[in-house]
Amino acid sequence: MSATSQIGTRTSTGGVRRASALGPGLAVLFVALALVGFLSVTLGSRAIGVSEVLHALVNFDSDGPISSTVTLEMRVPRTLLGILVGAALGVAGAILQGVTRNPLADAGILGINSGAAAFVVFAITVLGVRGIGVYVWFAFAGAIAALALVYAVASLGREGATPVKLALAGAAVTAGLVSVTSGIVMTNVDALNELRFWQVGSLAGRYTPILTGVAPFLLLGLAASLGFGRAINGLALGEDVARGLGQNVVRTRAAAFAVVAVLAGAATAACGPIVFVGLVVPHLARFICGPDYRWILPYSMLLAPIVLLLADVLGRVVAAPDELQVGVVLGLMGAPAFIAIVRYGRLSEV
Amino acid sequence: MQKWRPVLAVAALSVALGTLTACGNDTGTGDTAAAAASGPWSFTDGSGQVVKADKKPTRIIAHAGEAAALLSFGIKPVGVYADEPVKTDPNLKNLDLAGIEILGEEWGKIDVEKAAALRPDLIVGDWWPAEKAHSGMEEGVDEKSKKLADLAPVVGVAQGKSIVALAEGYEDLAESLGADVNSPQIAANKKRFEQAVETFKAATASKPGLTVAAMSPSTEKVYVANPEYAPELLDLQTWGLKVINPASPDPAFPYWENLSWENADTYQPDLILFDGRSFTPTANAEWGTKQPTWFKIKAAKAGAAVSWPAFWLHTYADFATELDKLTQAVKAADPNVGN
Repeated sequence: MSATSQIGTRTSTGGVRRASALGPGLAVLFVALALVGFLSVTLGSRAIGVSEVLHALVNFDSDGPISSTVTLEMRVPRTLLGILVGAALGVAGAILQGVTRNPLADAGILGINSGAAAFVVFAITVLGVRGIGVYVWFAFAGAIAALALVYAVASLGREGATPVKLALAGAAVTAGLVSVTSGIVMTNVDALNELRFWQVGSLAGRYTPILTGVAPFLLLGLAASLGFGRAINGLALGEDVARGLGQNVVRTRAAAFAVVAVLAGAATAACGPIVFVGLVVPHLARFICGPDYRWILPYSMLLAPIVLLLADVLGRVVAAPDELQVGVVLGLMGAPAFIAIVRYGRLSEV
Repeated sequence: MQKWRPVLAVAALSVALGTLTACGNDTGTGDTAAAAASGPWSFTDGSGQVVKADKKPTRIIAHAGEAAALLSFGIKPVGVYADEPVKTDPNLKNLDLAGIEILGEEWGKIDVEKAAALRPDLIVGDWWPAEKAHSGMEEGVDEKSKKLADLAPVVGVAQGKSIVALAEGYEDLAESLGADVNSPQIAANKKRFEQAVETFKAATASKPGLTVAAMSPSTEKVYVANPEYAPELLDLQTWGLKVINPASPDPAFPYWENLSWENADTYQPDLILFDGRSFTPTANAEWGTKQPTWFKIKAAKAGAAVSWPAFWLHTYADFATELDKLTQAVKAADPNVGN
C-alpha cells in the first residue's frame, strides 16, 4: 500500500513540478508545427514563390495558374493529411507503448500493417479493384480486423490480454498474414506491383478525397486519445498496481486498443505503412516529459507531425523535379535517430 | 490493372524495357531451320561479342518481340517468353503460336526448367545497351530466370538508335539461321513500311511547328521518355517529328526523366505520345480527373494524345501499322496547342 501511494505521489508531483515548463513547451511545439506546415505548403519539388502561395491561399482560385492548383489541390491537402496522419501515428505509438509496456511497440508490431496489406491484396486479386481511393477502405478494414484478431487471441486465458501475450499474438498474426499476402503476390504480378506502390509510405498523390475520407476518423481518434493519459499512467506501473489504484484494467486496455485501431488504421490506410514515427516519437516525447502520459500523449501528437512533415518536405526538395517518398526519407533519418535515443538510455523507462 | 499500368510500367520500366528482350526459352521444334542445320555458325551479338557454334542452331528460344521478328522470316522458335500474357503482348497477340512452348508471360519470370526440357541451342533476346543485358536477364528479374543463359548461347540485336536497324539485325540473324529473306511477303512488308515512312515524313513536313513529348503518367510521378534510349522515338525524330528531349533524365535509369506531379507541366508539347502499354481511349481524361495538374499540360487538356508504341517494335510490318496511326495523329494535331 505504501508502495502504491509512493508511486502515485511520484508521478503526480513529477507532473506538477514539470507542468510549469511543459505547458509552454506544448505552445512552442504548436507554433513549430504551424511553421513546418507553412514550409510544407511553400516548399516542394516545384519552385513557387511565397507571394504566389499567398495569392493562391487568399484568392482560392484552384482553376487559375498552376501555382495555385499545386498549392491548393496538392500541397494543402498533403500538408493537412501529413499533420493528421503524423499526429495519429505518434499518439497511437505512445498509447501502445504505454498499454503494453513494450518500448518497441508500434502499430506494425500488432499486425496493423500486415492486416492492411492483406486486405489490399485481397481487393486487388479477388475483387479486381484498383486505385488508391478504394484501397483506403480495404486497408482500414484490414488494419482493424488484424488488431481485433490480435486482441482476441491475446485475451484468451484467465489473465486477459497481457503485454506479453499481445506481443506474441501480434507476431503470430503478422506472420500468418504476411505469408498469405506474399503467397498471393508471388503468383500474381499485378498484385505485387500494386502492393509495391502502396507499401512505401507516401504522402504523394493523395488529394482532397482521401483527406476528407479519413479526417473524421483521425480527428475523433485524436480527441479520444487525449483522455487516456491518467489510465495509461496507471497501466504503465503494472497491472497489479493499476488494479490496486482502482482501474478496470481490461476495460481500459480494450478502449485504448479501439482508439489505436482507428488512429493507426486510418493513417495506414491513407498513406501506406509509415515507419519509425510511431516508434521513435513517443520516446522523444518521453525524453522531454518524463513518464507522465498526460504530457507524453499531447507531446507525441505535436512532435510526430513535425517529424513527418519535415521528412516529407526534405524528400520533395532534395530530389526536385522528382520526389522521394516520405517512407524512404524516414527510413534513412529514423534509424540514426533511434540509435541516438537508445544511447541516451531512456528507452527502457516506458 | 489497365488504369494502373503506367505506374506498373514505370515501376517495371526496367522491366518493361526488359520485356522486349528475348530471354532464351525453349520454343517449338525448330523444324524450319532444321534443313539448313549444318556447318559452323556465327553471329555478332548486340554487345559486340561474336557468338559461334559448330552447327547452325535449330532449337531457338526467343523473347516476345524477337520471336515475332524471327517468325516473320519463317524461323519458328521452340519456345517464347513474354512480359505479359501472349494474348495481349503487342508482338505476339496476332500470331499463331501453335507448337511453340510458352515459357513465361510475366516480366522477369521464365520457366527455366521447362526451357531446359526443350534442349535449346540458341537463346534470342534484344541487347539493352543502357542496362548491358539481354531481354529477360536484366537487373531486377527473378534470379532463377537468369539461368536461362546457362542453357545455350544468348544473342540479340542491340536496342540502339533505330527500329530499322533492329529489324535489319533480325533479318540478318534469320538469314544466318537459314531463312529465305527474299520472299514476296517480306518484300511487301518492307514496301508498306517505306510507304508509311514517306507519308509520315510528308505529314511532319507540313507541320513544322509541331512538337511532341512521349509521356507515361503514373500515380506518383509523370515520366517523360528520353528519345536517346527509345529507338522508335529517334526514328520519328529522323523523319521530322520534333520529339522533345527531356533536360535531365534519371541518371540511374536514363530511359526517362521523372517529374513529380507538381512539375507535370514542365514540358508543353502540342501532342502527347502516350505510353502505349497504358494507353486507352479514355486514359487521358481519366488522368485529368485523378491528378490536378495533368490538364495543366495544354495538349492533355485539349485531348491531343496518341498511343506511342513504347519499346516493343521489331518488324517492318508492325512499325508500318503504328506509323500510319501516328501519321493520322500528326495530321490531326494543332501545332499551336502547347506553344
